[in-house]
Amino acid sequence: MNSSLLAIEFLVVVLGLGILLADLWIPSGARRGLAYAAATGLLLVLTLHGGALAPGDDTAFGGMFLVDALANYFKTLFIVATIAVLLISSGYADRLDGYGEYVALTLFALAGMLLAASANDFILMFVALELVTVTFYVLVSFQRRRQSSLEAGVKYLIFGALAAAFMVYGIALIFGSANTTNFYEIASRQAELGKSPVFVIGLLLTLVGLGFKISAFPFQMWTPDVYQGAPVPTTAFLATGSKAAGFVLLLRLAYSVVPEVMARWSHLLLGFAMATMLYGSFAALAQRSVKRLMGYSSIANAGYLLLGIGATNVTGSTAILYFLSGYVFTTLAAFAVISRVTVQDDNDDISVFAGLGNRSPLLAAAMTLALVSLAGIPPLAGFFGKFYLFKAALLQVPTSPLFLVAVLIACVSVVLSLYYYFNIIRVMYWPAQDAVDRPVTVPMAVGISLAACLAGILVVGIFPSGVIGLAHEAVAGLGTPAPEMHVQAHHAAAH
Amino acid sequence: MIVGLHHYLVVSALLFSLGLFGVLARRNLLVIYMSLELMLNAANLALVAFSRYNANLKGQVMVFFIITVAAAEVAVGLALIVALYRRRGTAHVEDLNSLRL
Repeated sequence: MNSSLLAIEFLVVVLGLGILLADLWIPSGARRGLAYAAATGLLLVLTLHGGALAPGDDTAFGGMFLVDALANYFKTLFIVATIAVLLISSGYADRLDGYGEYVALTLFALAGMLLAASANDFILMFVALELVTVTFYVLVSFQRRRQSSLEAGVKYLIFGALAAAFMVYGIALIFGSANTTNFYEIASRQAELGKSPVFVIGLLLTLVGLGFKISAFPFQMWTPDVYQGAPVPTTAFLATGSKAAGFVLLLRLAYSVVPEVMARWSHLLLGFAMATMLYGSFAALAQRSVKRLMGYSSIANAGYLLLGIGATNVTGSTAILYFLSGYVFTTLAAFAVISRVTVQDDNDDISVFAGLGNRSPLLAAAMTLALVSLAGIPPLAGFFGKFYLFKAALLQVPTSPLFLVAVLIACVSVVLSLYYYFNIIRVMYWPAQDAVDRPVTVPMAVGISLAACLAGILVVGIFPSGVIGLAHEAVAGLGTPAPEMHVQAHHAAAH
Repeated sequence: MIVGLHHYLVVSALLFSLGLFGVLARRNLLVIYMSLELMLNAANLALVAFSRYNANLKGQVMVFFIITVAAAEVAVGLALIVALYRRRGTAHVEDLNSLRL
């Protein structure tokens, strides 16, 4: 066994505990320093992680924990997203009582995401996802003096626990039919297991749990309310980290654990993808609350990503990784601006953006860039991400014409999304008469985070080949047979 | 009558459905949490039964993890109910209506 593989997760948890301890001695006025310390610590972890990228696949804890290229790619993404979220939250600290705990909980959620990226067993998958979800219950309801934050927390808890119950029941059925919960062992017997109805039902119930995390239709009911009620930094983290954690597991299940079963279900996945895209885009049209609008936009984006899962080809998995990288930068940039504009009177109605082009031209330009990327205008990150996802689906058209229908519906959804993204831009630059004429302050930490995210959008969008290359390497190991030696060792241990 | 794996699974499926019905039909937050716990325990029962009849202890280990996670979830959930009750003086889902269009 090789416990040193868990070094990154271990360091993140220790960092979180350190922040909790330091919180006891630091005066309440200086708590922002905790976020800077945590972000610096994560930067160090990131450099350490980058140095450890080279070695090949390896497992620890009896094959439960797997470090491979896919896990490493997502871990980088999670750490980067968390650094940005911490910096955004430092500008929001006055509205978060007990800010030190907020920073520590953010780090614990990150630990859960890192474990989810490395999960190679249904047990670890469940525990890692619950570590993320239970932490988010607290992060969502963190402004406990604000009623909408509490309500959002309660709603998230009910839907989250419901999804967890479905997932656990599914895992029980999978365990009952396969007599194991290890991904490698299930992958090596998938042809036989795929014929067992108990196994298939169990897998479907597990997908319900993952569908909740990525907010796919019809498990998206919580998304708009929770996005609207939660504090802005939490919403940003939900839209990026939590969603990506769902997708890394979905990707592993679909491409490496049970690809044969998933290929049979491509129509089902496409159905979910189409419903998710249409629901997200149509519902977003009428929104006044910007956070709620971002919630529906996040649902629509989950739909595009599901196209890549349904395609079950290498282009699809590469496109998912590429799209998520661009999406994380874009969404975080948008939320960095939203956090500054809404922080003064805690109001996220679209009218608070009125005249932002005059009040704070730089913020308005940043928001425009982020929205244009989300809408998918070339040459920004959002455009190439959607382009590759649609291409992956079009490659599958010879197997089933439904892929063509799905791509057409995705195009309709993109056109609808232009309307609601550009509506915000219109409000920013064509002010109403009664617009508040108050400048928007941007603390340095938020500015750095925003600038880094904008740079990310531009780099991912203008030089796609670099990220595509990385993503391609990350998914290259998926779908190859499990290392035979390891499976045998595990069997020997079981007997 | 010999009690077999199927009997356990039927009971577990019934518990799960009962819990799901409770979550969908009841309006009190405490009762909804209880129903959610029932669903998790239905999965626990199925895991223990599979574990016993397949002679594989891994299922029992999984039950420990589920119990721990459920305890954490309830701790956070009850704290939320208390905070909400202090703000609103109610624990009914109909009163959770401040988030709308």
